[in-house]
Amino acid sequence: MKPLLIYSPYTINIINPNFYSLLAAATKITAECEVLLIGNNLEEIAKSISQLEPVSRVLCLNSLVELENLLPEKIAPALVEIVKNYTHILIASDSFGRNLLPRVAGMLEIGQFSDIVNIISPTIFERFMYTGSILAKLESLEQLNLLTIRTSNFIPYKIKKANQEVAAIVKLDLNLDENYEGTEIVKYDFIDKSIDLSHAEIVVSGGSSLKSKEQFDLLIGGLAKKINAAIGASKAAVDEGLVSNDCQVGQTGKVVAPKLYLAIGISGALQHISGMKNSKVVVAINNDSQAPIFDHADYGFIGDLFEIVPKLIDKL
Amino acid sequence: MKIIIGVKNVVDPNVKVRVNESGDKLDIAQAKMSLNPFDEVAIEKAVRLKEEGIAQELIAISIGNTQNATNALRMALALGCTRGILVEALDEFIEPISIAKILREVTKKENPDMILLGKQAIDDEASQVGQMLAGMLNLPQATSILTLNILSSNLVEVSQEVDKGSQILKLKLPAVLTVDLSLNEPRFVKLPQLMLARKKELEVLPLSQLGINLKASSKVISYLDADTKRQCKMLKDYDELIQVLQQQMTNIN
Repeated sequence: MKPLLIYSPYTINIINPNFYSLLAAATKITAECEVLLIGNNLEEIAKSISQLEPVSRVLCLNSLVELENLLPEKIAPALVEIVKNYTHILIASDSFGRNLLPRVAGMLEIGQFSDIVNIISPTIFERFMYTGSILAKLESLEQLNLLTIRTSNFIPYKIKKANQEVAAIVKLDLNLDENYEGTEIVKYDFIDKSIDLSHAEIVVSGGSSLKSKEQFDLLIGGLAKKINAAIGASKAAVDEGLVSNDCQVGQTGKVVAPKLYLAIGISGALQHISGMKNSKVVVAINNDSQAPIFDHADYGFIGDLFEIVPKLIDKL
Repeated sequence: MKIIIGVKNVVDPNVKVRVNESGDKLDIAQAKMSLNPFDEVAIEKAVRLKEEGIAQELIAISIGNTQNATNALRMALALGCTRGILVEALDEFIEPISIAKILREVTKKENPDMILLGKQAIDDEASQVGQMLAGMLNLPQATSILTLNILSSNLVEVSQEVDKGSQILKLKLPAVLTVDLSLNEPRFVKLPQLMLARKKELEVLPLSQLGINLKASSKVISYLDADTKRQCKMLKDYDELIQVLQQQMTNIN
């Protein structure tokens, strides 16, 4: 039996990078998979996905409203019917997946596997525990495996050849519970991030040493812009109001795995480390030679960030 | 208003968790335990609602081995919860789906207006129980909430961050809410309150009485210490730093 990938595109015609990471995860289970798209205006993206070689079928669950308004309470009942036909369900462990899949698991009264970082076999998965300090290898005892996937840990699948047969696209007959009344979205604020932190190749991350929002914008924002990087931050910086919550890297923020991570004025609390330890190369800049961040960096520079960062913005 | 608050004692965040020699168990039997930080935030919110006269009954529930669950409940009572329910479970890790089933039974019995949970436990970090419970009971859910306002006896308003932004939700009660750290700053427990709490009787609910089938959904094959450190090359001057960064950026492009 094939795995089913669940994907809700935020942008109508563009397939986000984490879809390819999901595909990579699925192909560790079987060579082919099916894809369930949830949202509205799915025709174009369904067509694009149906042409990808590991995809054997695309299911479309259409909604009448914008994706932002699709609450897990509205989607879960339809999903409960759909997932029964598969052995593995994969969804990204972003807030959409984390809110939705456990609700489905609860309705089915089965276990669920969160934030999987490695798929060793169809029944053996790995995930972190204790702020990323323990890696647990688990064997599933469930017939139906509901997995949320830490997409930043899966190298995006590279499409090797065109699909021999374009996959069938099926419009599902099930209704999303659009009239669900228990929960209502009163206000939605869309934050446009031109570079998605979770999938950025370079992250410039700042700590609370930046002292003010203006300084953070000027130095960290300025450097990120110059080198085409995403902006990250420590929990302390976010708590101080220097930068918005969605830039937070760490156990209770985002987990990132960029090719280059610049930690600027970040001391290196364990919960921050757990969010960036999978970075390929880490460069740390800090005034304090004893800062724990240096234990988790490949290159370190001891000095005053207020002097260094402007130089970097200038020279890089 | 009646609120159920889930509380769990976990290995203290400052303790380094070690794996045993054969790699199949965690060495935590003697480790210092403390209340899950997210649960502290949930308790704090519930207690403030009681102090504001909005909530009257705050039922803390803990599921685990007797010692851990008792300590968690005593702390919850000392901080201001009004009742403590202990469900004894002997396994080292009780799966989220089992916890959700237990909470479902207690919820059916107690009929709370709200179930307040931490968004995740810092040990397994599964972040599943709230959503599972909401699904089982077909209740509205809101996870990782940053604010919570009670609009009326059966309506609440919460804010949360989602993938592409943030949103404000209105939920009809009863509902399941899981809290994030930014919701509030939990108070410290006062020693006299803790002494008093030790004398309070906890309601012990035997697992067998709940009539639930708790079959395991997974088993642990092994644990690995993933606390890897890197060898840091300290750079001498700006030129070296710029050179290293340029090199890295060139490798990427």
